[in-house]
Amino acid sequence: MSTFTKQFQWLRARDLRGLALPAGLLALWWLVSHFQLANQHVLAPPQQVVQEGLSQISGGFGWDVLASLGRDLAGFFLGGSAGFLLGSLLGVSRLAEKLIGPSFNAVKQIALFAWIPLLSVWFGMGEPAKIIFIAMAAFYPVTINTFEGIRSVSRDYAEVARVYAFSRWQLWRRVIIPAASPQIFTGLHLALIYSWLATIGAEYFLKSGHGVGNTMIDGREHFNMGSVLFGLVVVGCIGATLNQLAVRFERRALVWRKPN
Amino acid sequence: MTDSKLRVRAVAKTYPGQDAPLQVLQDIHLDIRPGEFLSIVGSSGCGKSTLLRLIVGLENDYQGEILLDGQRITGTGLERGIVFQEHRLFPWLTVAQNVGLALENATLSEADKQRTIAEHLDLVGLRGFESAYPYQLSGGMSQRVAIARGLVNRPEVLLLDEPFGALDALTRATLQDELRRIWQAEGITMILVTHDVEEAVYLSDRVVVLEPRPGRIKRIVEVDLPQPRQRTDAAFVAIKDDVLSDFGQLPRPSLLPTSWPARSAADYLFAL
Amino acid sequence: MSSTDTLPLPLPHSRNLAARSLRWRQAVLARLRDSALALLLPAAIVLLWHLAARHGWVAAQILPAPEQVALTLFELWDSGELWANLSISLGRVAWGFSAALLIGTALGVAMGLSKTAEAYLYPSFKALSEIPVLGWIPLLIMLVGIGEAMKILIIAKAAAVPITINTQQGIRNIPANFLEVARVYRFTPRQLWLKVVFPASLPSLFNGLRYGLTNAWLSLVTVELLASSEGIGYQMVWGRQLFQLDVVMACMVVIGLVGLAIDRLLQLAETFLLRWRRSAF
Repeated sequence: MSTFTKQFQWLRARDLRGLALPAGLLALWWLVSHFQLANQHVLAPPQQVVQEGLSQISGGFGWDVLASLGRDLAGFFLGGSAGFLLGSLLGVSRLAEKLIGPSFNAVKQIALFAWIPLLSVWFGMGEPAKIIFIAMAAFYPVTINTFEGIRSVSRDYAEVARVYAFSRWQLWRRVIIPAASPQIFTGLHLALIYSWLATIGAEYFLKSGHGVGNTMIDGREHFNMGSVLFGLVVVGCIGATLNQLAVRFERRALVWRKPN
Repeated sequence: MTDSKLRVRAVAKTYPGQDAPLQVLQDIHLDIRPGEFLSIVGSSGCGKSTLLRLIVGLENDYQGEILLDGQRITGTGLERGIVFQEHRLFPWLTVAQNVGLALENATLSEADKQRTIAEHLDLVGLRGFESAYPYQLSGGMSQRVAIARGLVNRPEVLLLDEPFGALDALTRATLQDELRRIWQAEGITMILVTHDVEEAVYLSDRVVVLEPRPGRIKRIVEVDLPQPRQRTDAAFVAIKDDVLSDFGQLPRPSLLPTSWPARSAADYLFAL
Repeated sequence: MSSTDTLPLPLPHSRNLAARSLRWRQAVLARLRDSALALLLPAAIVLLWHLAARHGWVAAQILPAPEQVALTLFELWDSGELWANLSISLGRVAWGFSAALLIGTALGVAMGLSKTAEAYLYPSFKALSEIPVLGWIPLLIMLVGIGEAMKILIIAKAAAVPITINTQQGIRNIPANFLEVARVYRFTPRQLWLKVVFPASLPSLFNGLRYGLTNAWLSLVTVELLASSEGIGYQMVWGRQLFQLDVVMACMVVIGLVGLAIDRLLQLAETFLLRWRRSAF
């Protein structure tokens, strides 16, 4: 077998039926715009959208993506660390849980984006407000999952630690954290997804500086369908990539788990 | 009385029950000689596992006293090891790391630790599985690792809480032989809790029969047979039947709560 | 003569009674103590907030006094303004969620039952669901305008994704054992659906509804903040523009309360619908 056919074997093994629907839609779109069945302003023809997208890439769009990713990660680490600390505290101490838990659960009920108007007054429209908002998005899932992960560590494991005279630190480091780690990873994974969502949102609402979200909003205001669609695809791709990275990382970190 | 390793004096234990406190152990007296293999048998609910938890120090709220070399025991200690019925290996650690847990607080150099771990994995016949994770092991292999973990820090007394209870008959017979071999080679005092009378008679110098509700000692049977023993030997069968006769009227299913009050590991952070 | 009067009736054990009443009293006390602990932190925050506003540590424009927020909330409710906006918002959620229920269940059932449908639809579904709701807003504004349709579409998309996924998985993950039982007893397709497929996938279906409704509420707030001229989200934006933070905060309280109500309602519905789960295991 030649290397060429070998390389394309995966294509044959893949199920191509999934492409039927997008291809059909694309054809429909092309037909509609070709025969001018819809307002050209509203629905630009596909080739024009591609062109606009390409000009975006050459026109400094890369920096926008980097700016978005930078604040996404900054918010993620900030919110994730805070969530880990609070979740640990709530998990370890019944008193802290009784003291802080109800308030946390009440505040959690406020839809995340409802914080934006308040944050914009308190922290302005710039980078701090955005990063704080992204951090809040990451904070909730990490707190909840760390707390629940720690609480569900079996007492059987703790007894083993007691038999071998573990110190508190050893119990925490060698037993509780590893045992809770699958759920902590779940929280971090969710946080990664939410913080990307919040990044786009922050850029929509707090319209200063650069970012993928800004590009999309600007595109909408200038009736630039290409920018909007291109931005949409980029947002989806980055989200999916972050998701995949999280899955890979999780699989590596938790090799000890029985594979399904 | 200087020749006893472990002395259990008038020990009684009650749990707060639904309506009234529930007595699980009453007036237990035992003297265990150094290097002895002692078994405790009884039907479920007779408190035999509770007695083991008292000796290892996982439960500290009881009446009477338990002395190790004349010293009253308080809490857990590295001189007392235990092998649980469910192997309780940490799933996130490899076999070697799991055995190494017992050496976490030992004053050994890292190289000595590795050497001891390897020796003990050899002892239980698991060389080559050092870097396997628990999910890759069979029940019997997991229990071997648990035994290696119980032995590796050289406890003076090793407690075994129905260690083979969840295994199939063939694996169980093999592991019984290995346990006997290890006990003879190492000279560690062992206390085995089991509901399998044959296992008790096969391994022990003495068999303690507990009766339930509340758990108390019915009698202690000396097994004066040379090791290794033959399960089909007439003398062996006679002793086994003698012990079994104590279980003539089978008790009704346990009325005891089988699960302990549910608490999570985190509670022990500040309760250690 | 019946034998009942000769049977010794079980007398309540006096010690049992005493122990029980003691335990009951302890439980009530523990409950009270927990509630007090729970209120400690909010009370401290409100007190600090009150002091900060009163002594002018922070400008009133940035932090209105808590009593001011409460008063505004009351006034907004009393004037009917709040309810007018809230009812519009709730109407949007209801429409969007209903549409999502219809589309999501249909898609989920189709992809759960038929491998062919899955092969055609799943990749597109996956790709579209991968793009967050927020990404769709500018595109939909361009395509269908800034009106009701856009908002309902956004809410429907947000809710339909979890409903579809959970419906599909609920049907896919029905244990083969159950289906074999149905085959042994020669169930008709109708019986199969009513007695096996539906009850077995109910927990998963319910999960989908739960996430769907939560998502619907979250995206409603988002879309109203971004592009709306009425609704609770708009009221917030309006308050923000006039620098009336008391209005903003009052709206946050309302949004939180509605979120809480949705959460509680779903919990109640779940315990009611899935009663068998606890008794079965």
